[in-house]
Amino acid sequence: MAVTMSPALRWRNLPRDARDTLFLLAVILWTVLPHVGHLPPWCIALTGLVLAWRAHLAVTNAPLPPRWLPIVALATATALTMLSFRTLFGKDPGVTMAVVLMALKTLELRARRDAFVVFFLGFFLVLTHFLYSQSIAVAAAMLVSVWGLLTALVLAHMPVGQPSLKQAGSLALRTAALGAPIMVLLFVMFPRIGPLWGVPQASLAGTGLSNSMNLGSVGELAVDDRIALRVRFPDRSVPAQRLYFRGPVLTRFDGNLWTPLSIDYPITARNDPLETSGAGVRYEITLEPTSLPLLPLLDATPEAPSLEGMAARRREDLSWAVNRLTRERLRFTAIAYPDYRLSQEALTDRQRQENLQLPDGVAPRTRAWAQAFRQRPDLAEATPAQLTAALYRHIRTSQYTYTLTPGTYGEADSKAAIDEFWLDRRQGFCEHFAATYVVVMRSLGLPARIVTGYQGAEAADGDGFRTVRQSNAHAWAEYWQEGAGWVRADPTAAVAPDRIFSSRSLRPPPGIVGGALETMSPNLVPQLRSLWETLDNRWNQWVLNYSRGQQLDLLSQLGIDAPSWQDLAKLLVLTLSGFALVGVAWAWWDRQRQDPWQRQAAAVAGVLRRLGLPALPHQPPRQLAGDVRARFGPTGEPLAALLMVAEHQRYGREALARPSRAWFATLRTEARRLQSTKASSEAAPR
Amino acid sequence: MPAAALRARFLPLLHPVTATRQRFRAWWQQRLPRTDALLLTQRNVYILPSRAGLMFGATVIVLLLASINYQLNLGYVLTFLLAGSGVVSMHLTHNTLRGLTLQLRPPKPAFAGSPVVMDVTLGSTGPARYGIGLRTEAGPADTLTWINVDAGGQAHTQVSFVPPRRGLHAMPVLTVETRFPLGLFRAWAVWRPAATVLVYPQPEQPPAPLPPAHTSPSETATARRVSDGGEVEGIRTYRRGDPLKLVVWKKAARYLETGGDLVSRDTSTAARHELWLDWQQCAGLAPEDRLSRLAAWVQAADRGQARHGLRLPGLEIPPDHGENHRRRCLEGLALWQ
Repeated sequence: MAVTMSPALRWRNLPRDARDTLFLLAVILWTVLPHVGHLPPWCIALTGLVLAWRAHLAVTNAPLPPRWLPIVALATATALTMLSFRTLFGKDPGVTMAVVLMALKTLELRARRDAFVVFFLGFFLVLTHFLYSQSIAVAAAMLVSVWGLLTALVLAHMPVGQPSLKQAGSLALRTAALGAPIMVLLFVMFPRIGPLWGVPQASLAGTGLSNSMNLGSVGELAVDDRIALRVRFPDRSVPAQRLYFRGPVLTRFDGNLWTPLSIDYPITARNDPLETSGAGVRYEITLEPTSLPLLPLLDATPEAPSLEGMAARRREDLSWAVNRLTRERLRFTAIAYPDYRLSQEALTDRQRQENLQLPDGVAPRTRAWAQAFRQRPDLAEATPAQLTAALYRHIRTSQYTYTLTPGTYGEADSKAAIDEFWLDRRQGFCEHFAATYVVVMRSLGLPARIVTGYQGAEAADGDGFRTVRQSNAHAWAEYWQEGAGWVRADPTAAVAPDRIFSSRSLRPPPGIVGGALETMSPNLVPQLRSLWETLDNRWNQWVLNYSRGQQLDLLSQLGIDAPSWQDLAKLLVLTLSGFALVGVAWAWWDRQRQDPWQRQAAAVAGVLRRLGLPALPHQPPRQLAGDVRARFGPTGEPLAALLMVAEHQRYGREALARPSRAWFATLRTEARRLQSTKASSEAAPR
Repeated sequence: MPAAALRARFLPLLHPVTATRQRFRAWWQQRLPRTDALLLTQRNVYILPSRAGLMFGATVIVLLLASINYQLNLGYVLTFLLAGSGVVSMHLTHNTLRGLTLQLRPPKPAFAGSPVVMDVTLGSTGPARYGIGLRTEAGPADTLTWINVDAGGQAHTQVSFVPPRRGLHAMPVLTVETRFPLGLFRAWAVWRPAATVLVYPQPEQPPAPLPPAHTSPSETATARRVSDGGEVEGIRTYRRGDPLKLVVWKKAARYLETGGDLVSRDTSTAARHELWLDWQQCAGLAPEDRLSRLAAWVQAADRGQARHGLRLPGLEIPPDHGENHRRRCLEGLALWQ
């Protein structure tokens, strides 16, 4: 006796509870689904099973399982998580546990409180997606999730009848849309402060210095707004573009990883390569604790700053090593010479070998490209400096894009990561440009190396301190020029400011759909791509890269000198208080507000009382007209007629929405006329 | 009763918080004017975060901490979107009640121990309002009657309460509340209706047999007796024009089988029959129990359409019958002394 019903009909015939539960399960599924790539298989299986079972229970209106079952399942899941990750802490195990908890909690939807736990776990789960990616697609998917969760919340608070999902959805949307201005205000003004405590961050690399560089594995760079150091120039200021703070110099390359030379060659007075000229710049640095035993000093600082209880030593490559980690804030003064030569007669064989080293099989296409590049007639006799300039030109004219979210490179073949960047996708940040530059130079037999450190600084605050953040971390390069020594090359800067984040470029071979589109409208695909890239760029600029720097810029534009985050907090509090005051004023006004018809009735009663009529508040215009006729007879007829007009305006078939001002003006004139005739008629007999 | 009285007496010592709360509530409600039509405004709608709202606040703080610690700008977006929606939901919750008009229809009398139904009409001049719950203030929190009010429309709902004692009672204090749309806030208003309800004594269960009818001397009472069930039996053959409800179907069936005619209840005989329901007939009972028995008797006599009179100390209602008489008797019982 199979009852066949179309799915749509079945859905419509579901009891309210079952439908709401199914909707909530669908929202949960949608929220969990993008995590599939990060979850161990057992977790996916368990979650799917539990959600499907719960849906079955909802449709068949069967009782929920006994309470011990979810508890046992949770214990099992915890054990399995331990087994899969060897820990319960950290991102992946945390997300796994959150997903399992969410699924199991649906088996416990007994009371209102349980439902709220599901909603709030859902919001938390939405956040966990941003740990993996903050792209537009993820944001859009999660917006749908939030909408779904809010809709389920609204549904739970419409206890009467069977409200449609559409109705609840539009109510939820309205709530969120009304909340959006508050969101924007808080997003713009909430002071961005650094992490409150250390958190393990795995595959989403933060900006900042490290002792190695792995190209391609970092698909997305989180902007880390922690302060790295503060610098002050007591004598004269230095423009931001000339501020290069040198960190680890990465010379060794194993095909994946760039690392500094493991052997530290001491510098003796005899073979010191550093020669300085011109005037020195005195500077004072307050260095935040770091995880590397080095001092990021300005290029070029020849003499060690004096540090208490710590010895600093300059290495051959001009980086400054210290003998222990700096766990506390350090403050010291040093002198830098912007004009310097890092030179010696010639590279030793050892140095030449180190700076030309390139593992076999790495970036074959880029190396071939470099050879072809060198073959260009204008570059046949080029010096390294001329080659570098030609490479800059190539970067500028060949549609490279600077972006913090280039995606990962070399997933299929790690040795081809550079090829993919340089020849195919052409999107990257400083590390990509610096590493590729060095590979190209080395493949042409020219010694080169990567230098990492910090570049730039914020404008000076009231005390003259300029902040350098972890997000100022940068990678550039140096090449060897006979006679001139090591010369700085910053290929990232070649992606000219107006071209950074700009739209256009890479054209992968079109697929079937793309090909069809191309034949129909040759401009459509580039236009669409350009549109998408503009959108993506704005997303990066306004959402993902919106940080304290932009906040402080905003304050400066508002006319605040030397803004700090305290100013930001004050402004936020002031704005919120302003809104609250407006709200209070509105509430006060609303209390005073009167129905316009009532106001008119009161005014009419006032006019009539001046004529000596009682005009009680409960009398409608019709009765007042009667009173007027009774009192004044034929002379009062115009006034009575006017009152009857009011009766029609208020209650008649062509009733007005609001009282008419013109009518009231006529009434007042008529009343005055009546008063004067009354006065004259009373005066006449005497 | 003495235990409850003792508890009430020592409540301030045993549960100082509860006692203070009760006292504050009583003082607060005394300040509210009694009215049968209430317009909810800024002044009489209260709003506080619900427990879920506090949970929501904690969730938002956790999300904010996570966003700060992992430097997630989209996390900030999510956190602030939820915070904004929460703030907006506060206004929406408040707006659901603000501007609502409540009107109570005059209640019908009821018996003590059985529910009194309060007919409430909710009116909205503004937009549609959802998820409004009504209950008596003293009742448990989960006895809410839910209702929606359409935009510019009206909705009717009923709230019931069980009066414990007979007498003229003020209507209980009502609360109207809502958590719509997100349940993060609970807005409520307290309403003291001005109407009063007359509560009759609780009829005795099971009812005692009616006292013997007092027959007048002219009476030829052979075919009549007062049954144990309180029914007055007297039948005659059916006459044209007798209302159907007067037909005694059980007997009629038997008569019809034996070739007889339909039979009707003989009301004229009952009318001639006088029944006195007297306080003195309930000797040995506590005063309230006597009233209960009398109430049950009035009901029974009325069902039997017997003429009955009521005699209480200080009150005598001459024998009569019909709805008005019944009401008069029950009113007398309800308001006696």
